[in-house]
Amino acid sequence: MEFTQDEAGGVTTVRLAGRLDSSAAPAAEDSFGHLLGGGAPRLAVDLSQLEYISSAGLRVLLVVARKVQQANGKVVLFGLRPNVREVFSVSGFDKIFAIEADAAGAAAAALR
Amino acid sequence: MLGFVEEIVLLQLDDTRGGLAELPLSAADIVLAGAAVMELALLNRIDSDLQHLFVVDPSPTGDAMLDDVLARLAPDGAEDGAKDGAELNAELNATAAVERITGQADAYRREALQRLVAKGILREENGRHFWVFRTRRYPVIDDREQREVKARLRQLLLTDEIPDPHDVVLICLIEACDLLGLVLSADEIARTKTRVEQLSRLDLIGQAVTRAVAEIRFIIRHATSAIY
Repeated sequence: MEFTQDEAGGVTTVRLAGRLDSSAAPAAEDSFGHLLGGGAPRLAVDLSQLEYISSAGLRVLLVVARKVQQANGKVVLFGLRPNVREVFSVSGFDKIFAIEADAAGAAAAALR
Repeated sequence: MLGFVEEIVLLQLDDTRGGLAELPLSAADIVLAGAAVMELALLNRIDSDLQHLFVVDPSPTGDAMLDDVLARLAPDGAEDGAKDGAELNAELNATAAVERITGQADAYRREALQRLVAKGILREENGRHFWVFRTRRYPVIDDREQREVKARLRQLLLTDEIPDPHDVVLICLIEACDLLGLVLSADEIARTKTRVEQLSRLDLIGQAVTRAVAEIRFIIRHATSAIY
């Protein structure tokens, strides 16, 4: 799995590409951990290149959501593929996360 | 920190009688099996998606009970790395995994009770009922763990706090056991119904446990109404 990030206008955009499963989860958790070091994070997470997510991947995102909430920040997801969206819907993760259609919407929502 | 199997056995204990709270035995077995499978998931030994459950790392955890569960889920050849877990477990899903473990639940329950005794949380009392039948009960002698878990779950259920994965598993288990009354009043249970449903869905294996227990309750309810 690839994890890349950049920052613009006070929002950090994270791009996840490939498969977020048990083999990728520890590295993804570490990478998010570096981002959540201090302050109130404003994250837009691009999932348009995420092909697959398993339970282990969902747990990584749940931990991120919890830490962001504790830091009074905001995390918004966007670009979910249909198969990933289905996993979010069945597991109820679509009620935990704010989900936007595109990068602009996610960045704006992350700052609200 | 207690494992999920120990935690759910402890929560099921009736403080006053030292016996397990009322739950159809088959449902209690499913919950206990689910607890073991979810523990392995949090230890990164198994993973799952909407269709399948995979053993991704068959190496021992160091906990004899969990290693027994893992061995029952891991197909032959997994330990020597002959094939990856996804290929070997193509037919296994969360429901089938829990069903495969349920037959061992009573042995795991006895093991969990012994561990709780060894940790000084419970005391084992042997006696006789009507001077004939042997009885065994487990009064709680150190209730710190129970109180901490109840307080944490209460806080999660009564606020909008996002849970950590460990707490999600506990909520799934406690809801499947119909033990929400341990942490919430009747009014609070009614008020938090949507929240409980939402949090219980967050774990895909937990969903399988909840479904299986609901099916058993449905069967028992209809069997009982057919008799009367």
